[in-house]
Amino acid sequence: MVPDREYRSLTPGELQVMRSQGCRAGEDQWDRIRVAEGFDAQRMQNVLFSGRVRIGAHTRSGDQVRAPSGMENAHVVDCTVGNDVRIANVAVRIANYHIADGSCVEDVGLIEAGPDARFGNGVEVEALNEGGGREVVLFNELCAQTAYLMCLYRHRPVFIEKLMALVSTAASQAHGVPGTIGPNALVRSTREMIDVCVGRGAVIQGASSLGNGTILSNDDAPTTVGVDVQAHDFIIAEGTSVTDGAMLAKCFVGQGCRIGRQFSAESSLFFANCEAFHGEAVSVFAGPYTVTHHKSTLLIAGLHSFYNAGSGTNFSNHRYKLGPVHEGKLLRGTKTGSFSYLMWPCRVGAFSVVLGKHTRVFDTQRFPFSAVEADAAGRCTVVPGIMLATVGTVRDGAKWPTRDRRRGDTKRDRITFDVFSPYTVGWMIRGRDVLDHAASTTDRCRTAVVMEGAEIKRVLLKRGAKYYRRAIGMYLTEQIVEHVESAMARGAASPRDAVVPSPRAVFDESWMDVGGQLMPRRRLDEFCGAVEQGHFKDVAACRAALDEIHACYLDDQWLWVKSTYESLFDVDLAGSHDDYFCQIADTLLETKRDFLNLVLLDAEKEFDNQARIGFGSNGSESSACADFEAVRGRCDDNEFVREIQRQIAALEERVDHFKSVVTR
Amino acid sequence: MSDIAERVRKVVAETLHVDEVNVVDESRFVEDLGADSTQSIELVAAFEEEFDIDMDEQAALGVKSVGDAIQFIDPLVQE
Repeated sequence: MVPDREYRSLTPGELQVMRSQGCRAGEDQWDRIRVAEGFDAQRMQNVLFSGRVRIGAHTRSGDQVRAPSGMENAHVVDCTVGNDVRIANVAVRIANYHIADGSCVEDVGLIEAGPDARFGNGVEVEALNEGGGREVVLFNELCAQTAYLMCLYRHRPVFIEKLMALVSTAASQAHGVPGTIGPNALVRSTREMIDVCVGRGAVIQGASSLGNGTILSNDDAPTTVGVDVQAHDFIIAEGTSVTDGAMLAKCFVGQGCRIGRQFSAESSLFFANCEAFHGEAVSVFAGPYTVTHHKSTLLIAGLHSFYNAGSGTNFSNHRYKLGPVHEGKLLRGTKTGSFSYLMWPCRVGAFSVVLGKHTRVFDTQRFPFSAVEADAAGRCTVVPGIMLATVGTVRDGAKWPTRDRRRGDTKRDRITFDVFSPYTVGWMIRGRDVLDHAASTTDRCRTAVVMEGAEIKRVLLKRGAKYYRRAIGMYLTEQIVEHVESAMARGAASPRDAVVPSPRAVFDESWMDVGGQLMPRRRLDEFCGAVEQGHFKDVAACRAALDEIHACYLDDQWLWVKSTYESLFDVDLAGSHDDYFCQIADTLLETKRDFLNLVLLDAEKEFDNQARIGFGSNGSESSACADFEAVRGRCDDNEFVREIQRQIAALEERVDHFKSVVTR
Repeated sequence: MSDIAERVRKVVAETLHVDEVNVVDESRFVEDLGADSTQSIELVAAFEEEFDIDMDEQAALGVKSVGDAIQFIDPLVQE
């Protein structure tokens, strides 16, 4: 934009040209138009000016794609228009906006910012509980972690009070300023845009109605708002697209999200890389990588992340008593199968798969990686740990980091991608203990036990504990091998030196998943305490503290692994002989090879006779076989299968190498 | 062997909720008796308990029919 002091009044010649081209202003209004050096009066046609208007230079000529900068057929009120801006065909008016250099506004209805506009900042979203009590206040820099704490930490009222004060201050910065259309942004064929800020390089094309919102955008991560979108009381973050008739009311849409195909959302928060099409969300806290693609899917009053909603998934938060006050939590990595139904309140353990119509209350958080099915009466039955060695779990762990669509330097949500971590393995340790205890104390005449509303068949108690035991061992030994390997490559003289934890590491047996960021509970408690004591002067300081915690993840993880391993196996790693580390590597080889072979077995099911049902044009086995192989390929050639086979081979080499290094 | 076969068929019938008369050596767990993946795991667990044995899961899940299960379990019980 042109510095304020460099604007000048129109010359008599410019005024004459503009008048001759149909431009109009009240007699006392012409003096209020000020222009920058390079202003070209020839490019002003049929423009009505009201109030104070400043106009920048015009150097850009039109080409086959872009029309030249200038103004035509518009009513411009109290606006500052930057260099090389094009404003054309504004049916009603554009008022109280800063329209930055290189931007284009054409074929629009009304664009206006009122004196009290807040641009979505300060909107209170009734996330998770539709009945209220967990309101999350929107502001431009909102991240999944801050939102999670605002929403979930209501049991610490002083913390909430202090955090809300910081957030309110941040939100108030958007108040009392004109609307902005950022540099090189495009607003085209949009009927109505009231109290909406548009960021750098954003494309708003064909939107129906936008009100009280901010569309953050930058050169690295331009944001798109597309055809027939209606959005009110919202903030949309960088690199996101909201398109194809999507409807948002009181929503935050984080970075790298995709929302479209008539999806409607109300009072909901979507964080990094969510995808939502066709269905509906109400009062949802959609942590990173929440995905819902299908029609007839209603996500209501739920908290989830790394979540995939099958078609027809339906939550219910209203039991016709005190209103829609119930809420539910799907811990990270959960999937709900087609037409699964969950009547809140419920809590589902991490990386579980939910199937069927659940009409009873249950809590399976102690049993991650489980199949959570409903029986005919709607009761929950659990097969603990069965999802551990599956294609789905392995693929999820590999795909999420590669599908991070966030671009540029600013990635607001801190995301810990690990499938196996102190958080999930911690739950497995607790689950294993519960299952072992139940197995040893349940009479053989009983067919099942019920825990927190979930039924587990008695014969599966030992089996579930075995699954968890194997996964715990695999995780701990792999972390030890990895840590020692890496430390020795960096110069540690022996495995004993390599296992010494970082002085900055913090230990807590219990870990938290704070909106996708994993951390020891103690770190979170310390952070909350610091907020309560007023240690942070603004939300930027809070953000820096959360960034610091995130930066410590690997150190904290290692301390947890070391302490947990030593406690479970009653050893002191720092005092162990080289041979002991070789034994750990051998255990890793055995457990992980078994694990990967089970994953291969699971993958083979995708190619067995059952998978071939429906293939083939004439129903014969030979045509089914040929058709299947033409479409799906052969198991041995499948890229996932080959990758797992490569991993098994690499594991053997890795363990051999590790043993040679530690015994050198 | 006949005792083991009888007990295998009984476990299969109870676990998969099918009539024992329909559980014959040729019956395939998935195609004929309708076992899904969780029931397959349940079967392995039920066999382990019934015969007080420890089955290698990968090998056990490779067993496709009742007859094969009898052949698989018999030597483990003899051990």
